[in-house]
Amino acid sequence: MSTVLALRETLMRQILADGRQYSRGVAVTIEDVSIAFDGRTVLEHFNVEIAAGEFVAIVGRSGCGKSTLLRSIVGLETPQKGTISLGTSKHVRPDVRIMFQDSRLLPWKRILQNVTLGLGATFVPHAEKVLAQVGLADRAHDWPATLSGGQRQRVALARALVHDPSLLLLDEPLGALDALTRIEMQELIEDLWWNRGFTAFLVTHDVAEAITLADRVILIESGRVVLDEFVDLPRPRARGSVRFAALEDRILQRVLQHRAMAIDARGARASTEENR
Amino acid sequence: MKGRVMADFHRAAVWSRNNLRKIGERALPWLAPVALLVVWQLASSSGRLPSRFLPSPRAIVKSFIELSVSGELWTHVRVSTMRALSGLAVGGGLGLILGLLTGSFRWAEMLLDTTLQMIRNIPALALIPLVILWFGIDESAKVFLVALGVFFPIYINTFHGIQSVDHGLLEMGRTYGLSGWALYREVILPGALPSILVGVRFSLGFMWVMLIVAETISARSGIGYMTMNARDFMQTDVMVVGILLYALLGKAADLLSKGLERHWLRWHWAYQQVR
Ligand SMILES: Nc1ncnc2c1ncn2[C@@H]1O[C@H](COP(=O)(O)OP(=O)(O)OP(=O)(O)O)[C@@H](O)[C@H]1O
Ligand SMILES: [Mg+2]
Repeated sequence: MSTVLALRETLMRQILADGRQYSRGVAVTIEDVSIAFDGRTVLEHFNVEIAAGEFVAIVGRSGCGKSTLLRSIVGLETPQKGTISLGTSKHVRPDVRIMFQDSRLLPWKRILQNVTLGLGATFVPHAEKVLAQVGLADRAHDWPATLSGGQRQRVALARALVHDPSLLLLDEPLGALDALTRIEMQELIEDLWWNRGFTAFLVTHDVAEAITLADRVILIESGRVVLDEFVDLPRPRARGSVRFAALEDRILQRVLQHRAMAIDARGARASTEENR
Repeated sequence: MKGRVMADFHRAAVWSRNNLRKIGERALPWLAPVALLVVWQLASSSGRLPSRFLPSPRAIVKSFIELSVSGELWTHVRVSTMRALSGLAVGGGLGLILGLLTGSFRWAEMLLDTTLQMIRNIPALALIPLVILWFGIDESAKVFLVALGVFFPIYINTFHGIQSVDHGLLEMGRTYGLSGWALYREVILPGALPSILVGVRFSLGFMWVMLIVAETISARSGIGYMTMNARDFMQTDVMVVGILLYALLGKAADLLSKGLERHWLRWHWAYQQVR
Protein backbone atom coordinates (compact mmCIF):
# COMPACT_ATOMS: atom_id res chain seq x y z
CA MET A 1 0.00 0.00 0.00
CA SER A 2 2.78 2.39 0.91
CA THR A 3 4.41 1.89 -2.48
CA VAL A 4 1.10 2.78 -4.12
CA LEU A 5 0.85 5.97 -2.10
CA ALA A 6 4.43 6.86 -2.86
CA LEU A 7 3.80 6.29 -6.52
CA ARG A 8 0.81 8.58 -6.41
CA GLU A 9 2.82 11.23 -4.60
CA THR A 10 5.35 11.30 -7.37
CA LEU A 11 2.64 11.29 -9.98
CA MET A 12 0.86 14.22 -8.36
CA ARG A 13 4.07 16.14 -8.06
CA GLN A 14 4.71 15.47 -11.70
CA ILE A 15 1.32 16.83 -12.67
CA LEU A 16 1.65 19.81 -10.33
CA ALA A 17 4.88 20.61 -12.10
CA ASP A 18 2.75 21.07 -15.23
CA GLY A 19 1.16 24.03 -13.50
CA ARG A 20 -2.36 22.69 -13.08
CA GLN A 21 -4.62 23.99 -10.37
CA TYR A 22 -6.35 21.73 -7.93
CA SER A 23 -8.73 24.19 -6.38
CA ARG A 24 -11.89 22.57 -7.73
CA GLY A 25 -11.25 18.90 -7.23
CA VAL A 26 -12.46 17.00 -4.22
CA ALA A 27 -10.97 13.84 -2.72
CA VAL A 28 -13.10 10.71 -2.50
CA THR A 29 -12.59 8.09 0.15
CA ILE A 30 -14.52 4.85 -0.03
CA GLU A 31 -14.00 2.72 3.04
CA ASP A 32 -15.09 -0.87 3.43
CA VAL A 33 -18.31 -0.32 1.50
CA SER A 34 -20.71 -3.22 0.99
CA ILE A 35 -23.85 -2.99 -1.11
CA ALA A 36 -26.29 -5.80 -1.76
CA PHE A 37 -29.64 -5.95 -3.54
CA ASP A 38 -32.10 -8.49 -2.16
CA GLY A 39 -29.27 -10.42 -0.55
CA ARG A 40 -27.19 -10.47 -3.76
CA THR A 41 -23.88 -8.79 -3.06
CA VAL A 42 -22.71 -6.24 -5.61
CA LEU A 43 -19.88 -4.48 -3.78
CA GLU A 44 -18.15 -6.14 -0.84
CA HIS A 45 -15.56 -4.56 1.47
CA PHE A 46 -14.84 -2.11 -1.29
CA ASN A 47 -11.94 0.25 -0.58
CA VAL A 48 -10.53 2.99 -2.72
CA GLU A 49 -9.00 6.38 -2.12
CA ILE A 50 -9.05 9.02 -4.83
CA ALA A 51 -6.98 12.18 -4.60
CA ALA A 52 -8.43 15.60 -5.38
CA GLY A 53 -8.29 16.30 -9.09
CA GLU A 54 -7.50 12.73 -10.03
CA PHE A 55 -8.99 11.16 -13.16
CA VAL A 56 -10.08 7.59 -12.44
CA ALA A 57 -11.32 5.10 -14.98
CA ILE A 58 -13.41 2.17 -13.81
CA VAL A 59 -13.54 -0.96 -15.92
CA GLY A 60 -15.14 -4.30 -15.36
CA ARG A 61 -17.60 -6.72 -16.84
CA SER A 62 -21.22 -5.85 -17.32
CA GLY A 63 -23.10 -6.16 -14.04
CA CYS A 64 -20.02 -5.97 -11.81
CA GLY A 65 -21.31 -2.90 -10.01
CA LYS A 66 -19.77 0.08 -11.79
CA SER A 67 -23.02 2.05 -11.99
CA THR A 68 -23.85 1.06 -8.42
CA LEU A 69 -20.51 2.49 -7.28
CA LEU A 70 -21.17 5.84 -9.00
CA ARG A 71 -24.75 5.94 -7.71
CA SER A 72 -23.57 5.37 -4.16
CA ILE A 73 -21.02 8.19 -4.49
CA VAL A 74 -23.81 10.67 -5.38
CA GLY A 75 -25.97 9.24 -2.62
CA LEU A 76 -28.56 7.49 -4.78
CA GLU A 77 -27.72 4.16 -3.13
CA THR A 78 -27.00 3.79 0.55
CA PRO A 79 -24.33 1.24 1.42
CA GLN A 80 -25.33 -1.34 4.01
CA LYS A 81 -21.84 -1.06 5.43
CA GLY A 82 -18.93 1.32 5.20
CA THR A 83 -18.61 5.03 4.47
CA ILE A 84 -18.10 7.23 1.46
CA SER A 85 -16.70 10.66 2.19
CA LEU A 86 -16.14 13.50 -0.22
CA GLY A 87 -13.57 16.16 0.45
CA THR A 88 -11.82 16.77 3.72
CA SER A 89 -14.50 18.82 5.40
CA LYS A 90 -17.57 16.82 6.33
CA HIS A 91 -19.78 19.90 6.58
CA VAL A 92 -19.65 21.40 3.14
CA ARG A 93 -21.36 19.20 0.58
CA PRO A 94 -19.30 19.45 -2.60
CA ASP A 95 -21.25 19.74 -5.83
CA VAL A 96 -21.28 16.45 -7.66
CA ARG A 97 -22.71 15.84 -11.12
CA ILE A 98 -23.40 12.47 -12.60
CA MET A 99 -24.04 11.59 -16.20
CA PHE A 100 -26.27 8.54 -16.17
CA GLN A 101 -25.76 5.54 -18.40
CA ASP A 102 -29.16 6.23 -20.02
CA SER A 103 -29.21 9.87 -21.09
CA ARG A 104 -32.27 10.87 -19.01
CA LEU A 105 -33.15 14.01 -20.91
CA LEU A 106 -36.45 15.67 -20.03
CA PRO A 107 -38.60 14.98 -23.10
CA TRP A 108 -40.66 18.15 -22.53
CA LYS A 109 -37.70 20.49 -22.64
CA ARG A 110 -35.84 21.48 -25.75
CA ILE A 111 -32.18 20.51 -25.98
CA LEU A 112 -30.82 23.85 -24.80
CA GLN A 113 -33.22 23.96 -21.83
CA ASN A 114 -32.16 20.43 -20.95
CA VAL A 115 -28.54 21.51 -20.88
CA THR A 116 -29.26 24.52 -18.65
CA LEU A 117 -31.40 22.47 -16.25
CA GLY A 118 -30.96 23.75 -12.72
CA LEU A 119 -29.04 26.80 -13.92
CA GLY A 120 -30.27 30.33 -14.53
CA ALA A 121 -30.88 31.95 -17.88
CA THR A 122 -27.47 33.60 -17.57
CA PHE A 123 -25.93 30.24 -18.42
CA VAL A 124 -27.50 30.09 -21.88
CA PRO A 125 -24.46 31.43 -23.79
CA HIS A 126 -22.20 29.03 -21.92
CA ALA A 127 -24.58 26.13 -22.59
CA GLU A 128 -24.64 27.02 -26.27
CA LYS A 129 -20.87 26.92 -26.31
CA VAL A 130 -20.75 23.48 -24.71
CA LEU A 131 -23.46 22.24 -27.10
CA ALA A 132 -21.26 23.43 -29.96
CA GLN A 133 -18.34 21.54 -28.42
CA VAL A 134 -20.30 18.29 -28.49
CA GLY A 135 -21.27 19.11 -32.08
CA LEU A 136 -24.95 19.83 -31.55
CA ALA A 137 -25.19 23.61 -31.81
CA ASP A 138 -27.75 23.37 -34.60
CA ARG A 139 -30.07 21.13 -32.57
CA ALA A 140 -30.38 23.48 -29.59
CA HIS A 141 -34.07 24.13 -30.20
CA ASP A 142 -35.21 20.61 -31.05
CA TRP A 143 -37.04 18.14 -28.84
CA PRO A 144 -34.99 15.28 -27.38
CA ALA A 145 -37.34 12.80 -29.09
CA THR A 146 -35.98 13.86 -32.46
CA LEU A 147 -32.35 13.00 -31.64
CA SER A 148 -30.50 9.75 -32.21
CA GLY A 149 -29.21 7.70 -29.28
CA GLY A 150 -25.66 8.97 -29.66
CA GLN A 151 -26.84 12.56 -29.98
CA ARG A 152 -28.87 12.23 -26.79
CA GLN A 153 -25.78 10.90 -25.05
CA ARG A 154 -23.82 13.93 -26.19
CA VAL A 155 -26.54 16.25 -24.87
CA ALA A 156 -26.36 14.47 -21.52
CA LEU A 157 -22.59 14.91 -21.59
CA ALA A 158 -23.01 18.61 -22.34
CA ARG A 159 -25.49 18.92 -19.48
CA ALA A 160 -22.97 17.40 -17.08
CA LEU A 161 -20.15 19.58 -18.39
CA VAL A 162 -21.86 23.01 -18.20
CA HIS A 163 -21.90 22.71 -14.46
CA ASP A 164 -18.60 23.40 -12.83
CA PRO A 165 -18.62 20.50 -10.40
CA SER A 166 -15.87 19.49 -8.05
CA LEU A 167 -16.62 15.85 -8.80
CA LEU A 168 -17.85 14.60 -12.14
CA LEU A 169 -19.07 11.03 -12.58
CA LEU A 170 -19.48 9.75 -16.12
CA ASP A 171 -21.22 6.42 -16.62
CA GLU A 172 -20.22 5.15 -20.05
CA PRO A 173 -20.64 8.56 -21.63
CA LEU A 174 -19.35 7.52 -25.04
CA GLY A 175 -20.87 4.07 -25.35
CA ALA A 176 -23.07 4.74 -28.36
CA LEU A 177 -20.65 6.83 -30.41
CA ASP A 178 -18.70 6.04 -33.55
CA ALA A 179 -14.90 5.85 -33.32
CA LEU A 180 -14.31 9.34 -34.68
CA THR A 181 -16.83 11.21 -32.54
CA ARG A 182 -15.61 9.15 -29.62
CA ILE A 183 -12.07 10.44 -29.97
CA GLU A 184 -13.35 14.03 -30.25
CA MET A 185 -15.42 13.64 -27.10
CA GLN A 186 -12.48 12.08 -25.25
CA GLU A 187 -10.39 15.10 -26.14
CA LEU A 188 -13.18 17.40 -24.95
CA ILE A 189 -13.46 15.62 -21.61
CA GLU A 190 -9.69 15.62 -21.12
CA ASP A 191 -9.45 19.33 -21.97
CA LEU A 192 -12.19 20.32 -19.56
CA TRP A 193 -10.77 18.15 -16.80
CA TRP A 194 -7.30 19.55 -17.42
CA ASN A 195 -8.43 23.15 -17.34
CA ARG A 196 -10.90 22.96 -14.48
CA GLY A 197 -9.23 20.40 -12.29
CA PHE A 198 -12.30 18.56 -11.01
CA THR A 199 -12.06 14.98 -9.82
CA ALA A 200 -13.38 12.64 -12.49
CA PHE A 201 -14.73 9.10 -12.52
CA LEU A 202 -15.20 7.51 -15.90
CA VAL A 203 -16.90 4.15 -16.32
CA THR A 204 -16.00 2.55 -19.61
CA HIS A 205 -15.89 -0.82 -21.31
CA ASP A 206 -12.99 0.27 -23.47
CA VAL A 207 -9.59 -0.31 -21.86
CA ALA A 208 -7.86 1.89 -24.44
CA GLU A 209 -10.22 4.74 -23.59
CA ALA A 210 -9.46 4.26 -19.90
CA ILE A 211 -5.72 4.46 -20.53
CA THR A 212 -6.09 7.48 -22.84
CA LEU A 213 -7.90 9.56 -20.24
CA ALA A 214 -7.21 8.33 -16.74
CA ASP A 215 -4.46 8.77 -14.17
CA ARG A 216 -5.54 5.50 -12.74
CA VAL A 217 -7.45 2.47 -14.00
CA ILE A 218 -9.46 0.44 -11.52
CA LEU A 219 -10.77 -2.99 -12.39
CA ILE A 220 -13.75 -4.25 -10.39
CA GLU A 221 -14.48 -7.93 -10.09
CA SER A 222 -16.61 -9.88 -7.63
CA GLY A 223 -17.37 -6.67 -5.77
CA ARG A 224 -13.76 -5.68 -5.14
CA VAL A 225 -10.90 -3.77 -6.68
CA VAL A 226 -8.75 -6.45 -8.29
CA LEU A 227 -6.47 -4.11 -10.21
CA ASP A 228 -5.45 -0.54 -9.49
CA GLU A 229 -3.04 0.57 -12.18
CA PHE A 230 -1.43 4.00 -12.40
CA VAL A 231 -1.00 5.38 -15.87
CA ASP A 232 2.11 7.54 -15.91
CA LEU A 233 2.16 8.30 -19.61
CA PRO A 234 2.57 11.93 -20.67
CA ARG A 235 -0.58 13.65 -22.00
CA PRO A 236 -1.93 13.83 -24.61
CA ARG A 237 -1.45 10.10 -24.92
CA ALA A 238 -0.74 8.46 -28.22
CA ARG A 239 -2.43 5.12 -28.67
CA GLY A 240 0.30 3.93 -30.97
CA SER A 241 3.09 4.18 -28.39
CA VAL A 242 4.82 1.08 -27.11
CA ARG A 243 4.19 1.87 -23.44
CA PHE A 244 0.51 2.49 -24.13
CA ALA A 245 0.19 -0.87 -25.85
CA ALA A 246 2.10 -2.62 -23.07
CA LEU A 247 -0.19 -1.17 -20.40
CA GLU A 248 -3.31 -2.01 -22.35
CA ASP A 249 -2.02 -5.53 -22.78
CA ARG A 250 -1.30 -5.87 -19.07
CA ILE A 251 -4.78 -4.77 -18.06
CA LEU A 252 -6.46 -6.98 -20.62
CA GLN A 253 -4.31 -9.91 -19.47
CA ARG A 254 -5.51 -9.26 -15.96
CA VAL A 255 -9.15 -9.28 -17.02
CA LEU A 256 -8.62 -12.49 -18.95
CA GLN A 257 -6.64 -14.08 -16.16
CA HIS A 258 -9.58 -13.64 -13.83
CA ARG A 259 -11.87 -15.15 -16.35
CA ALA A 260 -9.48 -18.02 -16.82
CA MET A 261 -9.42 -18.55 -13.08
CA ALA A 262 -13.19 -18.55 -12.98
CA ILE A 263 -13.33 -21.09 -15.79
CA ASP A 264 -10.68 -23.21 -14.07
CA ALA A 265 -12.64 -23.15 -10.87
CA ARG A 266 -15.80 -24.18 -12.68
CA GLY A 267 -13.89 -26.88 -14.55
CA ALA A 268 -12.40 -28.17 -11.32
CA ARG A 269 -15.82 -28.25 -9.69
CA ALA A 270 -17.27 -30.09 -12.65
CA SER A 271 -14.48 -32.70 -12.63
CA THR A 272 -14.78 -33.32 -8.89
CA GLU A 273 -18.50 -33.81 -9.39
CA GLU A 274 -17.72 -36.28 -12.17
CA ASN A 275 -15.34 -38.18 -9.92
CA ARG A 276 -18.01 -38.62 -7.32
CA MET B 1 -43.01 21.21 -80.98
CA LYS B 2 -45.70 18.68 -81.49
CA GLY B 3 -44.04 16.44 -78.93
CA ARG B 4 -44.16 19.20 -76.34
CA VAL B 5 -47.83 19.87 -76.95
CA MET B 6 -48.49 16.18 -76.52
CA ALA B 7 -46.47 16.15 -73.33
CA ASP B 8 -48.39 19.14 -71.98
CA PHE B 9 -51.64 17.49 -72.89
CA HIS B 10 -50.56 14.32 -71.17
CA ARG B 11 -49.51 16.18 -68.05
CA ALA B 12 -52.82 18.03 -67.93
CA ALA B 13 -54.68 14.75 -68.23
CA VAL B 14 -52.68 13.18 -65.40
CA TRP B 15 -53.16 16.29 -63.29
CA SER B 16 -56.91 16.35 -63.72
CA ARG B 17 -57.16 12.61 -63.10
CA ASN B 18 -55.20 12.97 -59.85
CA ASN B 19 -57.37 15.89 -58.78
CA LEU B 20 -60.53 14.00 -59.56
CA ARG B 21 -59.36 11.14 -57.41
CA LYS B 22 -58.54 13.53 -54.58
CA ILE B 23 -61.97 15.16 -54.79
CA GLY B 24 -63.55 11.71 -54.87
CA GLU B 25 -61.67 10.65 -51.75
CA ARG B 26 -62.82 13.78 -49.93
CA ALA B 27 -66.43 13.41 -51.04
CA LEU B 28 -66.93 9.71 -50.44
CA PRO B 29 -67.40 9.83 -46.64
CA TRP B 30 -70.13 12.46 -47.09
CA LEU B 31 -72.14 10.40 -49.52
CA ALA B 32 -74.07 8.38 -46.93
CA PRO B 33 -75.05 11.29 -44.63
CA VAL B 34 -76.22 13.40 -47.57
CA ALA B 35 -78.23 10.49 -48.96
CA LEU B 36 -79.80 9.97 -45.54
CA LEU B 37 -80.78 13.65 -45.36
CA VAL B 38 -82.34 13.49 -48.84
CA VAL B 39 -84.33 10.36 -47.98
CA TRP B 40 -85.42 11.93 -44.68
CA GLN B 41 -86.57 15.12 -46.39
CA LEU B 42 -88.43 13.14 -49.08
CA ALA B 43 -90.14 10.97 -46.47
CA SER B 44 -91.24 14.05 -44.51
CA SER B 45 -92.53 16.05 -47.47
CA SER B 46 -94.42 13.03 -48.86
CA GLY B 47 -96.13 12.70 -45.49
CA ARG B 48 -94.81 9.20 -44.76
CA LEU B 49 -92.91 10.56 -41.74
CA PRO B 50 -95.34 12.61 -39.58
CA SER B 51 -93.77 15.77 -38.19
CA ARG B 52 -95.08 15.13 -34.67
CA PHE B 53 -92.82 12.05 -34.74
CA LEU B 54 -89.79 13.61 -36.44
CA PRO B 55 -89.74 16.98 -38.20
CA SER B 56 -88.25 17.37 -41.67
CA PRO B 57 -84.66 18.62 -41.99
CA ARG B 58 -86.00 21.77 -43.60
CA ALA B 59 -88.26 22.46 -40.61
CA ILE B 60 -85.35 21.96 -38.25
CA VAL B 61 -83.17 24.44 -40.15
CA LYS B 62 -86.04 26.92 -40.26
CA SER B 63 -86.66 26.63 -36.55
CA PHE B 64 -82.93 27.00 -35.86
CA ILE B 65 -82.83 30.23 -37.86
CA GLU B 66 -85.92 31.60 -36.16
CA LEU B 67 -84.65 30.80 -32.68
CA SER B 68 -81.27 32.36 -33.30
CA VAL B 69 -82.71 35.49 -34.93
CA SER B 70 -85.01 36.05 -31.98
CA GLY B 71 -82.00 35.61 -29.67
CA GLU B 72 -83.76 33.00 -27.55
CA LEU B 73 -81.34 30.29 -28.67
CA TRP B 74 -78.24 32.21 -27.59
CA THR B 75 -79.66 32.94 -24.16
CA HIS B 76 -80.20 29.24 -23.58
CA VAL B 77 -76.81 28.30 -24.99
CA ARG B 78 -75.13 30.87 -22.77
CA VAL B 79 -76.91 29.66 -19.64
CA SER B 80 -76.06 26.04 -20.35
CA THR B 81 -72.43 26.80 -21.18
CA MET B 82 -72.04 28.83 -18.00
CA ARG B 83 -73.41 25.94 -15.94
CA ALA B 84 -71.08 23.50 -17.63
CA LEU B 85 -68.05 25.73 -17.15
CA SER B 86 -68.80 26.54 -13.50
CA GLY B 87 -69.24 22.86 -12.76
CA LEU B 88 -66.00 22.08 -14.58
CA ALA B 89 -64.14 24.80 -12.71
CA VAL B 90 -65.38 23.65 -9.29
CA GLY B 91 -65.19 19.87 -9.81
CA GLY B 92 -62.14 19.89 -12.06
CA GLY B 93 -60.26 22.35 -9.86
CA LEU B 94 -60.96 20.27 -6.78
CA GLY B 95 -60.06 17.04 -8.57
CA LEU B 96 -56.78 18.57 -9.76
CA ILE B 97 -55.81 19.92 -6.35
CA LEU B 98 -56.70 16.72 -4.49
CA GLY B 99 -55.05 14.57 -7.17
CA LEU B 100 -51.86 16.62 -6.90
CA LEU B 101 -51.99 16.32 -3.12
CA THR B 102 -52.57 12.58 -2.92
CA GLY B 103 -50.15 11.94 -5.79
CA SER B 104 -47.35 13.96 -4.20
CA PHE B 105 -47.68 13.33 -0.48
CA ARG B 106 -47.86 9.94 1.09
CA TRP B 107 -49.82 11.27 4.10
CA ALA B 108 -52.45 12.82 1.83
CA GLU B 109 -52.81 9.55 -0.05
CA MET B 110 -53.25 7.61 3.20
CA LEU B 111 -55.70 10.17 4.48
CA LEU B 112 -57.90 10.70 1.42
CA ASP B 113 -57.46 8.17 -1.34
CA THR B 114 -59.41 5.25 0.13
CA THR B 115 -62.34 7.50 0.99
CA LEU B 116 -62.41 9.06 -2.46
CA GLN B 117 -62.16 5.65 -4.14
CA MET B 118 -65.16 4.51 -2.10
CA ILE B 119 -67.23 7.53 -3.06
CA ARG B 120 -66.25 6.94 -6.67
CA ASN B 121 -68.15 3.67 -6.65
CA ILE B 122 -71.44 5.51 -6.17
CA PRO B 123 -72.89 6.36 -9.59
CA ALA B 124 -73.22 10.14 -9.65
CA LEU B 125 -76.67 9.97 -11.21
CA ALA B 126 -77.94 7.85 -8.30
CA LEU B 127 -77.42 10.90 -6.10
CA ILE B 128 -79.99 13.01 -7.97
CA PRO B 129 -82.83 12.56 -5.43
CA LEU B 130 -80.50 13.65 -2.62
CA VAL B 131 -79.16 16.54 -4.64
CA ILE B 132 -82.68 17.80 -5.28
CA LEU B 133 -83.41 17.48 -1.58
CA TRP B 134 -80.29 19.46 -0.67
CA PHE B 135 -80.23 22.16 -3.31
CA GLY B 136 -83.82 22.19 -4.56
CA ILE B 137 -83.95 22.73 -8.30
CA ASP B 138 -81.99 25.95 -8.59
CA GLU B 139 -78.61 26.65 -10.21
CA SER B 140 -76.45 25.14 -7.50
CA ALA B 141 -78.01 21.69 -7.95
CA LYS B 142 -76.98 21.63 -11.62
CA VAL B 143 -73.50 22.98 -10.96
CA PHE B 144 -73.09 20.42 -8.19
CA LEU B 145 -74.05 17.54 -10.47
CA VAL B 146 -71.66 18.67 -13.20
CA ALA B 147 -68.89 19.18 -10.66
CA LEU B 148 -69.49 15.68 -9.31
CA GLY B 149 -69.29 14.23 -12.81
CA VAL B 150 -66.00 15.91 -13.74
CA PHE B 151 -64.29 15.49 -10.37
CA PHE B 152 -63.36 11.82 -10.52
CA PRO B 153 -61.87 11.53 -14.01
CA ILE B 154 -59.59 14.48 -13.28
CA TYR B 155 -58.75 13.32 -9.75
CA ILE B 156 -57.89 9.74 -10.75
CA ASN B 157 -55.80 10.70 -13.76
CA THR B 158 -53.92 13.43 -11.91
CA PHE B 159 -53.12 11.00 -9.09
CA HIS B 160 -51.90 8.33 -11.49
CA GLY B 161 -50.02 10.86 -13.60
CA ILE B 162 -48.02 12.07 -10.62
CA GLN B 163 -47.39 8.56 -9.33
CA SER B 164 -46.12 7.30 -12.66
CA VAL B 165 -43.59 10.06 -13.36
CA ASP B 166 -40.38 8.40 -14.56
CA HIS B 167 -38.29 7.59 -11.50
CA GLY B 168 -35.04 7.99 -13.43
CA LEU B 169 -35.95 11.56 -14.41
CA LEU B 170 -36.75 12.39 -10.78
CA GLU B 171 -33.35 11.06 -9.71
CA MET B 172 -31.68 13.05 -12.45
CA GLY B 173 -33.54 16.23 -11.45
CA ARG B 174 -32.46 15.85 -7.84
CA THR B 175 -28.80 15.26 -8.68
CA TYR B 176 -28.89 18.36 -10.86
CA GLY B 177 -29.86 20.46 -7.90
CA LEU B 178 -33.64 20.63 -8.30
CA SER B 179 -35.81 20.24 -5.25
CA GLY B 180 -39.13 21.43 -3.88
CA TRP B 181 -41.13 23.61 -6.23
CA ALA B 182 -38.45 23.65 -8.94
CA LEU B 183 -38.47 19.85 -9.15
CA TYR B 184 -42.25 19.95 -9.22
CA ARG B 185 -42.40 22.49 -12.02
CA GLU B 186 -39.63 21.09 -14.21
CA VAL B 187 -40.12 17.34 -13.79
CA ILE B 188 -43.22 16.20 -11.90
CA LEU B 189 -45.95 18.38 -13.42
CA PRO B 190 -44.82 18.03 -17.06
CA GLY B 191 -44.43 14.30 -16.51
CA ALA B 192 -47.98 14.02 -15.18
CA LEU B 193 -49.49 16.35 -17.78
CA PRO B 194 -50.32 13.74 -20.46
CA SER B 195 -52.30 11.76 -17.92
CA ILE B 196 -54.00 14.88 -16.52
CA LEU B 197 -55.12 15.86 -20.01
CA VAL B 198 -56.59 12.40 -20.57
CA GLY B 199 -58.60 13.07 -17.40
CA VAL B 200 -59.75 16.40 -18.82
CA ARG B 201 -60.91 14.72 -22.04
CA PHE B 202 -62.93 12.14 -20.09
CA SER B 203 -64.39 14.73 -17.76
CA LEU B 204 -65.62 16.89 -20.64
CA GLY B 205 -67.71 13.94 -21.78
CA PHE B 206 -69.16 13.53 -18.28
CA MET B 207 -69.70 17.28 -18.05
CA TRP B 208 -72.28 17.30 -20.88
CA VAL B 209 -73.98 14.11 -19.74
CA MET B 210 -74.50 15.47 -16.24
CA LEU B 211 -75.66 18.82 -17.57
CA ILE B 212 -78.20 17.25 -19.91
CA VAL B 213 -79.62 15.12 -17.13
CA ALA B 214 -79.75 18.02 -14.69
CA GLU B 215 -81.40 20.37 -17.18
CA THR B 216 -83.89 17.76 -18.33
CA ILE B 217 -85.07 17.09 -14.79
CA SER B 218 -85.67 20.68 -13.88
CA ALA B 219 -84.70 24.04 -15.25
CA ARG B 220 -86.16 27.42 -16.02
CA SER B 221 -83.63 28.24 -18.72
CA GLY B 222 -80.95 26.54 -20.75
CA ILE B 223 -80.96 24.13 -23.65
CA GLY B 224 -82.57 21.37 -21.60
CA TYR B 225 -85.38 23.71 -20.58
CA MET B 226 -85.91 24.76 -24.17
CA THR B 227 -86.14 21.13 -25.25
CA MET B 228 -88.48 20.02 -22.48
CA ASN B 229 -90.64 23.10 -22.94
CA ALA B 230 -90.93 22.34 -26.66
CA ARG B 231 -92.07 18.84 -25.81
CA ASP B 232 -95.03 20.25 -23.90
CA PHE B 233 -96.12 22.08 -27.05
CA MET B 234 -95.24 19.22 -29.39
CA GLN B 235 -92.63 21.40 -31.16
CA THR B 236 -90.52 18.52 -32.36
CA ASP B 237 -88.37 20.81 -34.52
CA VAL B 238 -87.26 22.83 -31.49
CA MET B 239 -86.58 19.60 -29.59
CA VAL B 240 -84.27 18.37 -32.35
CA VAL B 241 -82.52 21.77 -32.43
CA GLY B 242 -81.84 21.40 -28.69
CA ILE B 243 -80.46 17.90 -29.14
CA LEU B 244 -78.22 19.06 -31.98
CA LEU B 245 -76.99 21.97 -29.86
CA TYR B 246 -75.83 19.59 -27.15
CA ALA B 247 -74.00 17.58 -29.80
CA LEU B 248 -72.32 20.71 -31.20
CA LEU B 249 -71.24 21.95 -27.78
CA GLY B 250 -69.83 18.54 -26.95
CA LYS B 251 -67.87 18.51 -30.17
CA ALA B 252 -66.57 22.03 -29.52
CA ALA B 253 -65.35 21.02 -26.05
CA ASP B 254 -63.63 17.98 -27.51
CA LEU B 255 -61.87 20.06 -30.15
CA LEU B 256 -60.77 22.54 -27.51
CA SER B 257 -59.23 19.85 -25.33
CA LYS B 258 -57.51 18.31 -28.35
CA GLY B 259 -56.08 21.72 -29.15
CA LEU B 260 -54.77 22.07 -25.60
CA GLU B 261 -53.14 18.65 -25.84
CA ARG B 262 -51.57 19.54 -29.15
CA HIS B 263 -50.11 22.67 -27.62
CA TRP B 264 -48.99 21.37 -24.23
CA LEU B 265 -47.76 18.01 -25.45
CA ARG B 266 -45.79 19.22 -28.46
CA TRP B 267 -42.82 17.24 -27.25
CA HIS B 268 -45.02 14.17 -27.09
CA TRP B 269 -46.18 14.70 -30.66
CA ALA B 270 -42.59 14.93 -31.75
CA TYR B 271 -42.01 11.62 -30.00
CA GLN B 272 -44.88 9.95 -31.81
CA GLN B 273 -43.76 11.26 -35.17
CA VAL B 274 -40.33 9.73 -34.73
CA ARG B 275 -41.78 6.37 -33.84
N1 LIG C 1 -32.06 -1.33 -7.91
C1 LIG C 1 -31.56 -2.57 -8.05
N2 LIG C 1 -32.24 -3.63 -7.57
C2 LIG C 1 -31.75 -4.88 -7.69
N3 LIG C 1 -30.58 -5.17 -8.26
C3 LIG C 1 -29.84 -4.16 -8.75
C4 LIG C 1 -30.30 -2.81 -8.69
N4 LIG C 1 -29.37 -2.01 -9.25
C5 LIG C 1 -28.40 -2.84 -9.68
N5 LIG C 1 -28.67 -4.13 -9.38
C6 LIG C 1 -27.80 -5.29 -9.66
O1 LIG C 1 -26.50 -4.97 -9.27
C7 LIG C 1 -25.57 -5.50 -10.18
C8 LIG C 1 -24.63 -4.40 -10.64
O2 LIG C 1 -25.35 -3.48 -11.40
P1 LIG C 1 -24.67 -2.22 -12.07
O3 LIG C 1 -25.72 -1.46 -12.77
O4 LIG C 1 -23.87 -1.50 -11.06
O5 LIG C 1 -23.70 -2.91 -13.12
P2 LIG C 1 -22.67 -2.24 -14.13
O6 LIG C 1 -21.32 -2.67 -13.73
O7 LIG C 1 -22.92 -0.79 -14.24
O8 LIG C 1 -23.05 -2.98 -15.48
P3 LIG C 1 -23.09 -2.39 -16.98
O9 LIG C 1 -21.69 -2.36 -17.46
O10 LIG C 1 -23.88 -3.42 -17.72
O11 LIG C 1 -23.73 -1.08 -16.93
C9 LIG C 1 -26.36 -6.15 -11.29
O12 LIG C 1 -26.36 -7.54 -11.09
C10 LIG C 1 -27.75 -5.60 -11.12
O13 LIG C 1 -28.69 -6.57 -11.47
MG1 LIG D 1 -23.74 0.42 -15.60
